[in-house]
Amino acid sequence: MLNDGDWLALWVSIKLALVTTVILLMLCTPLAWWLARRRLPGQALLEALLALPLVLPPSVLGFYLLIGLGPNGPGGWFAQWEDARSLAFSFTGLVIGSLVYSLPFVLQPLKNAFAAIEPRQLDMAAVSGARPMDRFFSLVIPQARQGYATAAILGIAHTLGEFGVVLMIGGSLAGETRVASVALYEHVEAGDYANAHRLAAVLLVASVLMLWALFRWQRKQSTGVMP
Amino acid sequence: MSLAFSLSGQVGQCRLQVQAQLAATGVTVLFGPSGSGKSTLLRMLAGLQDCDGEVRFGEQLWQTDEVKLPPWERPLGMMFQEPTLFRHLSVRGNLTYVMKRRGKAGDLNRVVNQTRIEALLDRSVATLSGGEAQRVALARALLAGPELLLLDEPLSGLDHGHKQELLGMVSEIARRVPVIYVTHDLDELLTLSRQVWLMEQGRIVASGKAHEELSRLDGPLAQRGDATALLYGELGDYDSQDHLQAVTVAQQTFWLPAAQPVAGDEPVRLRIAARDVSLCRQAPQDSSILNIHPVQVVGLREVGPGQAMVQLALGDQRLLARISSRSARELEVFPGAQLYAQVKAVALG
Repeated sequence: MLNDGDWLALWVSIKLALVTTVILLMLCTPLAWWLARRRLPGQALLEALLALPLVLPPSVLGFYLLIGLGPNGPGGWFAQWEDARSLAFSFTGLVIGSLVYSLPFVLQPLKNAFAAIEPRQLDMAAVSGARPMDRFFSLVIPQARQGYATAAILGIAHTLGEFGVVLMIGGSLAGETRVASVALYEHVEAGDYANAHRLAAVLLVASVLMLWALFRWQRKQSTGVMP
Repeated sequence: MSLAFSLSGQVGQCRLQVQAQLAATGVTVLFGPSGSGKSTLLRMLAGLQDCDGEVRFGEQLWQTDEVKLPPWERPLGMMFQEPTLFRHLSVRGNLTYVMKRRGKAGDLNRVVNQTRIEALLDRSVATLSGGEAQRVALARALLAGPELLLLDEPLSGLDHGHKQELLGMVSEIARRVPVIYVTHDLDELLTLSRQVWLMEQGRIVASGKAHEELSRLDGPLAQRGDATALLYGELGDYDSQDHLQAVTVAQQTFWLPAAQPVAGDEPVRLRIAARDVSLCRQAPQDSSILNIHPVQVVGLREVGPGQAMVQLALGDQRLLARISSRSARELEVFPGAQLYAQVKAVALG
């Protein structure tokens, strides 16, 4: 099967995807709630900026991240805490890059799920004795569970598929920043098609399985039968 | 317990300015056409809708200029027009949601029996029919252990049978918990109410005892095509041969068709639609109509082209008759005139 280096790269990819997605779910929950429920001036511009990673070439994003994370950017200042000169070429840097890159894929499903919750449901919970925070955890999150599942799967899948950004800010350090997609690229560059085939197949099957699980689950949910 | 409020607020195009108080017992119907602000007023009382003013319930201040009690701290139970069951929970989950959050939660078994939802407890709310869902919603409102129930057109969209069933439950509940009931359906007003508030264009234009407001010629209810008077009477004998139940109103006996003797010892309510009452100068002989009673004209008013509404006194109670303006002229209907009312149909309820 895969060689040790590829297993390691796959592990870095998975770790990156999980860490990024967990952080994004926490960040996007209040953000998506706010965007779904409020109408404020400047909101359209903010939403456009947040959706930018959908359309921007990843290399453009990667370039700005490289500048931002480098010794002369804010990333360099933060890097002091880790006794480093820069956040570029580090796992932390990759996480920051992935947060930006995958944000719209987590934000949008959550926003749609929150927008679909009827205000009446919240009113009824309020007159049933539930305070706002209680309402959020006892009603909003359970009713938005499909949105959370979609957001989580898309966040993981999209981060696993990351290439352009990682290439710019990663540096392909084994065990630290060499993710599966980059490892695959290096196999191809080196003409090692056998290993490239194996790694590509693993990524392909994993992606198909994840999306299949998501769609299957969504179908079950939409038939309206509760467990 | 009494409820007093003086509230004003703007919701979309509609400006609402209301003040009223009531000794909160039994059912008070908040009646008016769609868009008159009834639901908005109910939402204001629940604290769901921002507004200025004051609300006082018994000793509790729910809203003043300084404080505003949030909805979850008001001792209310509420039903909306739609059942609005929590979609992610089972029927049982919907009930326990409220019980967990209200200190004074009601008794689950009693409420479940009262609303007849035993068989539904483990169902998903998505599989309930309209009537079942509203019964669950009623049970949920009761389990909040409310000191006041706010019901916002809870029967709209239900068929006749389910309506009657829920109306019966609401009447029963209102013996213990005061109910404010929003509707634009005259039938529900007649079935439920002793007190009525009439709303028009964001204001309470009249309030009082239902039977008085129903027969007031200068009020909106007597202008309607289906204007109906409500009378109170005592149950009398039952004629088992002809299947007729006697009800005495102001020493006059009304005979009502009834397959069985009507049970009960409280005063019964008789509904008599104005279009089912005709007038004559002399007591007609040999009429097929069973209920013919001497009445005195209190007043009359034009209610449409060629149509007159006549308010009649039967003892200290009031009856309405809708007749043509020509008949009113030829019969010389004027206040004080002594006439006979022929009542074609009487309903209990």
